[in-house]
Amino acid sequence: MREQTVFVVDDNEVVARSLRWLVETVQLRVETYASAQAFLDGYDAAKPGCLVLDVRMPGMSGLDLQERLAAQRIHIPIIFVTGHGDVQMAVRAVKSGAFDFIEKPFNDQDLLERIHKAIRFDAVQRDQDLQHQQLRALFANLTGREREVLDQVVLGKSNKAIANCFGLSAKTIEVHRAKVMEKMQADSVADLVKMSMQLQMQA
Amino acid sequence: MSTNGDAMGSAVAVLGVALLLSLGLLAFLTLRLREVQRRFLDKETEYQKVQDHLQENDARLRAIIESEPECVKLQAADGTVLEVNPAGQRMMGADRPQDIIGRPIYDIVAPEYLETYRQNMARVFSGETLIYAFRSITLKGKVAWLETHAVPMRDARGTIYALLGITRDITEHRQAEEQARRHHTELTHVARLSTMGEMATGIAHELNQPLSAIANFARGCLRRLRADHVDPAELIKPLEEVCEQAVRASEILSHVRDFVRKSELQLKAADINHIVHSVVKFTELEARHHGATVTLHLAPRLPKVQADAIMLEQVLCNMVRNAFEAMAEAHSPQREVYISTRALEGDAVEVEVVDTGPGIDGAVIDQVFDQFFTTKAEGVGMGLSISRSIIEMHGGRVRAESGKDGGTTFRFTVPTSEARSSHA
Repeated sequence: MREQTVFVVDDNEVVARSLRWLVETVQLRVETYASAQAFLDGYDAAKPGCLVLDVRMPGMSGLDLQERLAAQRIHIPIIFVTGHGDVQMAVRAVKSGAFDFIEKPFNDQDLLERIHKAIRFDAVQRDQDLQHQQLRALFANLTGREREVLDQVVLGKSNKAIANCFGLSAKTIEVHRAKVMEKMQADSVADLVKMSMQLQMQA
Repeated sequence: MSTNGDAMGSAVAVLGVALLLSLGLLAFLTLRLREVQRRFLDKETEYQKVQDHLQENDARLRAIIESEPECVKLQAADGTVLEVNPAGQRMMGADRPQDIIGRPIYDIVAPEYLETYRQNMARVFSGETLIYAFRSITLKGKVAWLETHAVPMRDARGTIYALLGITRDITEHRQAEEQARRHHTELTHVARLSTMGEMATGIAHELNQPLSAIANFARGCLRRLRADHVDPAELIKPLEEVCEQAVRASEILSHVRDFVRKSELQLKAADINHIVHSVVKFTELEARHHGATVTLHLAPRLPKVQADAIMLEQVLCNMVRNAFEAMAEAHSPQREVYISTRALEGDAVEVEVVDTGPGIDGAVIDQVFDQFFTTKAEGVGMGLSISRSIIEMHGGRVRAESGKDGGTTFRFTVPTSEARSSHA
């Protein structure tokens, strides 16, 4: 597994430094940014981890950054850090997809647990993304005829029925079917059905 | 002969004089009689005139009352309506006079006001003149707010036989007032948010930074120490940060006092009673809203104080509002605020604000002027702290006391103009 990074964005440099000192006790990599813009400029979406984000910041606020990330289809889990009285803001943030929020002053154990959860969530999410990407790549390799055959197979039709449908011989269909199974790296028809559903869900 | 003649002459003279006197007396009596007669006649004409006048007056009064746009009515002690003018009939929703005349006035009083209305009636029949407002549900079922000016009507022997009530419809007025009150609350709310609130949130946010940093650095150190794989030298830097941030936090706190100190005082000779009056006016609606009354005991002819009137108004306003809120929050049955002023020896004037609220716990009474100390659910604990700063900047003092049976007293002094100039 790739090394996980906790991205800390806080306009207060001392607070950011103190968070680094705290988070590093659980052997996580920490990158700190003094503004939302600095994070956008320096962030490499390929790096797994989570974002610890101050709600209140001059310039681009934490909520603004959340919006920008969503617009760029970056799904890094965000833990918002809010001050006293900003809870409503936090609720808004969570409603628009934030992973979690934590109110200052917070307990270190509490923060670290949330960070771990967020990181696990990110890992699962990235894993799924990867699988989907692979699936899409496999699917992209199918010929037009093979895709048509795949559609019929997952509907539960027999080779004969499919052959009648396309006006081809059952033998030819059987060759196509074997090709589809091979290209999609599927072990069974049930496997194919699952993949097909996943592809449809992403579409 | 001559003696005789003399005697005769004397007798005639005496008779003559007597006759003359009698005639004179008669003439005098006749004149007197005429005079008395004339006077009597005059009196009679006068009496007639008065009589006419009275009748005229009565007719005129009736005409006026009949055409009066406000409701004018007479009520008996049991509430029976004896007389009411057309405007009154309309106000009460009566199509014909007999719909209301002879009927109890309570027919048009909203249920929640019945008891108060009865009590007011009794007070008027015991001789008081009153103005009272009540909600009315007219005979036609319309809801209206009415205000009655009621006076007792006495017969020649002074017995009260009726209540004369002049009633006007204050529904619109009420609504306007309600609107004004809402507007006012919004305004004060906004004002509070933008000054105290803004400041408090600002301070809280500012203070949160160093405190968070301190906590994070300290916990980071602890975790490393507990995990037992730490080079002590590694801890020096973060611990230095802890110290720096602690200093930073206390700097922020001292800024709060500086903020008040920096706002320049405009010291002028000011009348403290005048300041009290204007604060009472500012807080009138709030008093009504909280069901509180404000009673003033202001010493006359007080020496002028050397003060920034607006600042002192803020201090006093703050104390009065605190009193209202404390009494309302504690649901005190009796909600009174007494403000008194008096001259102190040594060239100062003292202002005292006493409430009938729950008082302040003796254990915390000394903290009420501390920053962020509050007993209010939504308070930020800045008001009294700033108040103290303002009073101290004036060269005065402020104290809080709580009575054994509740009730809080705030007392502050402000030096007089003379005191200032003689010290300067």
